[in-house]
Amino acid sequence: MLAVEGLVAGYGGRPVARLARLEVAPGGAALLLGPSGSGKTTLLLAIAGLAEVMAGVARVDGVDVAALRPAARDRFRGRAIGLVFQDLHLIAGLSTLDNILLAPFAAGVTQDRARALTLLAELGLADRAHRPAETLSRGQAQRAAIARAMLLRPKLILADEPTASLDDEACTRVSDLLARAAEETGAALVIATHDLRLRSRFEVTVAVEPVA
Amino acid sequence: MNPFKLVLAFIRRRPLTWGFHALTLALGVAVLTAVLALNAGLSGRFERDLAGIDLVVGAKGSPLQLILSSVFQLDQPTGNIPLSTVQTLSQNMLVRRAVPLSLGDNVAGFRIVGTTPQYGEIYNARLIAGRWWTQPMEAVIGATAERRLKLRIGDVFVGDHGLAPGGEAHKDSPYRVVGLLAPTGAVIDRVVLTHTASVWKVHEHENQEHAALISAGKQLDPHDIDKSPGGRQITALLLTYRSTMGALMLPRYINAMPDLQSASPAVETAHLTTLLGTGADVFRAFGLGLLVLSALGFFVALYSAVSQRRRELALLRALGAHPSLLFALVALEGLALGLMGGAAGVALGRAAAAFAAEAAARGGGPSLPLPGFGAVDLLVIGGALALSLAASIAPGIVAYRTQPAAMLRSA
Repeated sequence: MLAVEGLVAGYGGRPVARLARLEVAPGGAALLLGPSGSGKTTLLLAIAGLAEVMAGVARVDGVDVAALRPAARDRFRGRAIGLVFQDLHLIAGLSTLDNILLAPFAAGVTQDRARALTLLAELGLADRAHRPAETLSRGQAQRAAIARAMLLRPKLILADEPTASLDDEACTRVSDLLARAAEETGAALVIATHDLRLRSRFEVTVAVEPVA
Repeated sequence: MNPFKLVLAFIRRRPLTWGFHALTLALGVAVLTAVLALNAGLSGRFERDLAGIDLVVGAKGSPLQLILSSVFQLDQPTGNIPLSTVQTLSQNMLVRRAVPLSLGDNVAGFRIVGTTPQYGEIYNARLIAGRWWTQPMEAVIGATAERRLKLRIGDVFVGDHGLAPGGEAHKDSPYRVVGLLAPTGAVIDRVVLTHTASVWKVHEHENQEHAALISAGKQLDPHDIDKSPGGRQITALLLTYRSTMGALMLPRYINAMPDLQSASPAVETAHLTTLLGTGADVFRAFGLGLLVLSALGFFVALYSAVSQRRRELALLRALGAHPSLLFALVALEGLALGLMGGAAGVALGRAAAAFAAEAAARGGGPSLPLPGFGAVDLLVIGGALALSLAASIAPGIVAYRTQPAAMLRSA
């Protein structure tokens, strides 16, 4: 689960965006809305411990990520938070399966190949598992990235503009996939987006506040 | 999923770049390996040829020439010395062994050496067939000469005058093969051995001609001094001391005798190695230069590779990787390339050295016993790995400092 209170996020001592309040229960979902450049990504990165928390607090599964020491923060992020980026999905030259297994590899935990293959099969990528990642279509690569975010049964899944540049049908499919991923793994889901099509799909929405 | 797969994926994406850098490293390593192997072969060759010979006695002239001609069988002899020298010196109590050498003829470029079976003792030569000679015009063939000349026990052959092929054939004085030697790796492999008296016998006819010329009042060609009728002569004498006292006393004693000089093979070979060593040094410096250049290439390539894959490194950080994993990946990439270049370089250098040694042997030079793959080669590969690692430190630090937020925000 996720609990955010008065979070101000930024880089190098310069605040970028503010999020007054957000609570997402396990299996629940919320949209973080704001126009491009409003600091949505910065807020997500701050929650994940990758950007500075300059005020307020963000707790993931009860843990104040920003208060952890750097090494512990990396470890916690690897095990408890699944990240899906807008277009940075897979590493070329590795098979799809190995790209999924990058998550436990980077986090330094046991690599569960069987679960990775099951997830790929559920996302319709069974026949792509051993193919090089660069042979996947954009949509397939995104689904693989979602599988990777689910693999370690995280407490929180953060998705950054996952539906940008997708047509309506693909947009629905991806948002369904993310919602189901959160439900199945019992994770809290936060989607940062400026895509208004998603508003009808998710009940909880919260807006990014610019910092003065 | 493991670090090796990841590094392999990174390398496979730029096969040309990495192929080029591994090749430059391989070339540097190859030059070094070849020079080291040839050097070791040369000193091994010297050691084997010199083993058991403490001093060489011959006619006055260049001491280096005396050693080259009588020990390594390479150069022309300096002249001849009276046979009486053998008797005088072999009875000297400081001398353990005195082996006479008489040169003058060859068979298809292989020198015919008139000597005693003690010459075989110097090189621990072993007969694989037949026996040692007991009388003039019997011959024992060294291993290389036997292989090339295809001579068998009982075969008959004639020598050509001079030390290189193409001289006048001594048709009236055929030799008979009575023994064949096992390979030793030393100079004895490349000669045909016979009784000292054979050489006199072959040239008796000419000696008579010379005698006639002399009695007719004509001038004698100084190069043909060995054919002068004034008593039996030999070309050189190989001495082995009985004790270290010999080293102190004998050279002075011999050099004081008229028309004689002594030369120490160890001293002359060291002199020769210094002369040749300059060339080897140049090659070694060239190889080292190539290595440093390739390390610089590695550095630049790794650096640009790290900047190109910043987003992927950021992704790894986002997935929970500690920065040290990113450093390790870059170092591993450097090491993998170092290992490839190093191993390929040693193989290439070994092949080049073997080719050079073979070419030298075919050209009539000394055959070089190249050392087997060993500690030196491992040391060279280790050096290549160390250089690659050193080249990957700065790019590795850049990777270590990857700021994931900056990369992911623009994603």
